[in-house]
Amino acid sequence: MMIVVPIFSAWFLLDLMKDGVPILAPVGVVDLDDSSTSRAILRNLNGFKEVNIGYGFRNYHEAIQAVQDGKILGFFFIPEGMEERALGGRHPKVSFYINYAYYVPASFEYRGFKTVSVLANAAIARTIMRTLGKSDHEVMATLQPVVTHTHGLNNPWTNYSYYLCPSFIPCMLALLIMLVTAFSIGTELKYGTCRQWIESSAGSIELAVTGKLLPQTVIFTAVGWFIQYMMYRLYWIPLNCNPWHMISAMVLFVLANQGLALFIMSVVPNFRLGSTMCSLIGMISFSICGFSLPNEAMYPWLSTLAYVVPIRYYFLLSIDQALNNLPLYYSRVYYAALLGFTLLPWAMLWRLRRACVNPVYVP
Amino acid sequence: MKIRNSILIFFADLYRVWRRELRLVFRDEGVVIFFFVLCAVYPILYALIYDTEVANDVKVVVVDNDRSQLSREFARALDATPEVKIVQYVANMQEAQQLMAEKECYGVVLLPSGFERDVITGVQGHVSLYCDMGALMRYKQMLMGLTSVQQSVSNGMMKEKLAIFTNDNSAVIESKQVPLGNTAMGLASALLPCVFVLVLQQSMLLGIGMLRGGSRERRLENRGYDPMDVGAGVIATVLGRALCHWVLYLIPTIYVLHFAPVFFSYPQNGQVVDIALMVLPFLFATSFMGQTISVFVNDRESVFITIVFTSVIFVFLTGISWPRYAMSQFWIIVGNAIPSTWACNSYVMMQTGGASLEQLKESHFMLWALAAIYFVFACVVEKYLFRARARRMQHYAKGDPDALLREEYRRNAVDRM
Repeated sequence: MMIVVPIFSAWFLLDLMKDGVPILAPVGVVDLDDSSTSRAILRNLNGFKEVNIGYGFRNYHEAIQAVQDGKILGFFFIPEGMEERALGGRHPKVSFYINYAYYVPASFEYRGFKTVSVLANAAIARTIMRTLGKSDHEVMATLQPVVTHTHGLNNPWTNYSYYLCPSFIPCMLALLIMLVTAFSIGTELKYGTCRQWIESSAGSIELAVTGKLLPQTVIFTAVGWFIQYMMYRLYWIPLNCNPWHMISAMVLFVLANQGLALFIMSVVPNFRLGSTMCSLIGMISFSICGFSLPNEAMYPWLSTLAYVVPIRYYFLLSIDQALNNLPLYYSRVYYAALLGFTLLPWAMLWRLRRACVNPVYVP
Repeated sequence: MKIRNSILIFFADLYRVWRRELRLVFRDEGVVIFFFVLCAVYPILYALIYDTEVANDVKVVVVDNDRSQLSREFARALDATPEVKIVQYVANMQEAQQLMAEKECYGVVLLPSGFERDVITGVQGHVSLYCDMGALMRYKQMLMGLTSVQQSVSNGMMKEKLAIFTNDNSAVIESKQVPLGNTAMGLASALLPCVFVLVLQQSMLLGIGMLRGGSRERRLENRGYDPMDVGAGVIATVLGRALCHWVLYLIPTIYVLHFAPVFFSYPQNGQVVDIALMVLPFLFATSFMGQTISVFVNDRESVFITIVFTSVIFVFLTGISWPRYAMSQFWIIVGNAIPSTWACNSYVMMQTGGASLEQLKESHFMLWALAAIYFVFACVVEKYLFRARARRMQHYAKGDPDALLREEYRRNAVDRM
């Protein structure tokens, strides 16, 4: 369980998104104009890798039905008399309808549709201006006086997998580490063997905890390293820093999660309650840590919750190091925070000890 | 006569199983938490996290090497967009990089020297945006902000130059985007309806797993017999439980699928009757699936380890994040076997897209088919695994009453006699 689940989940996410960018969103077109210009626009559109024109509809109504049926995720609408109006300078309007119920494909569709309509515009304007004897150079400067260049640093392909896997996969691992830690301490409490457990370490709770959790630390760290190997070497997610920075971060990350789970079990030395809390925190981490909606955009009182989970720091660390290759100096806080989680439970272990020596099992 | 009798017995069994399951649920506070508290709290919690929908005012710094009227105007216009906020103007790229490393900003806008001159003399002026790619949403927001400023600046100039050809209007062919369904184009409105359905499924799976663990624990302590077992036939047992889960989930379902979207004003274009008809097979399929996969649950607490992590995998299989059309055939097939895949997508299409049940008849059919398939699985598991296991336990306990507990301790590596 400790080995299969995290590796399977990692493989699942990596394999699911191995293409990086979702291509060929199924879309439709409504071409009421049916002119050479409109057909040229549609040919152009079909050339984009973002969309795949699977359907041609006779009217708006049919297209909207297809969206509702789930056959297509959006469509491009060209009104009647588009070409004629365009050449006559009477500003026809093409529209694109995008189903925003599916957020990621919608963004990619938008890119395809928008580019095509800008290109169509340029094509016609260029024809007009060329007839007036303007050079291509002048034409472009007139049509687009300001050009923007966007550089997505270290992920210029906007690869979805590069952004999602390094956050979600460790988060799955964190969830499992916390559950297993809570489970193995909780089992002692449940079966009433905790007194024996403490006795076997000569009454030292610190020794008992270390002895119990250290083998798990070793296994989870090995699993974590293997997952890192899968991400960075089998699926080639960017690893721009010295690999040792991430390798050491994984050790700290495993320890930090065990530390947090141990802290929870010390504060509430109850099997059921402790494991419920661990799974709650583990599940909420996926949303609260700012993987998709950044933390600064959340309600402030909610986003502070992100600061009490180790995965948040590992996530920021992997952006700093693996993605952006910043000097270690800038990630010092994250390393320190992970270390802090490891030290956290030692202050509360006396509660766990008390619960172990005077066991109360609540069925 | 005989047939009539057995039918009567079947229904009597069904009712007894149903009543007993109801009692078991309410006797186990863990199950009550899963069935009711989880359904009440999780949707609200998730909705609150994503309630702000988008990240506005993403922090950027500007490196203005041109220091002209146009470059200043451009930067001011950028600051005025809802998407972007300029936190600082810096002297050069090194300083900007430094600020980025310190997380004081997530993007740098570079206006090169000669920007205004180029634009005025009819050469294209270039603006560069450098984005941190740690969170895709920030990148998207910065891009949107910059594009809108670029277009408004460009259009303003084009208007002057092209006025002769275009009757004082910027574009020859205009274009507009019409967002369908989720008209706010927010992340929450897209993601949450799917999560709502998933919460129903996962909480039910967890609860059923815990009930199963409880039954096993009772058998361990009672020489392989479960005192709460009513001794009904296999089909009556499986069906009776499912009916019980179904009835218990009526209120959580109405709350999660009908009222939660009202609280947070998510799209609500679906017909209530259509949604109810879609939920009917979904709850059955989930219950049977839960009864099948609870074969992996040993004691009450191990449901956490077995079932919690599947939530993430099921979310991805629905295709709400990574679209289903871009998945490999293998994952599409795996997704097809999960009730939430069909239920989430239909719920989203009904609530967001306003689709009717008639348009989603494939999903509806698939949910009934899954219910049927998992019903068969659940019966097989009940008959050949759970009951066989129970008989084995009874057999061992006959010889030695402590054998079961001892075996349990051994498997948990607990050395206590």
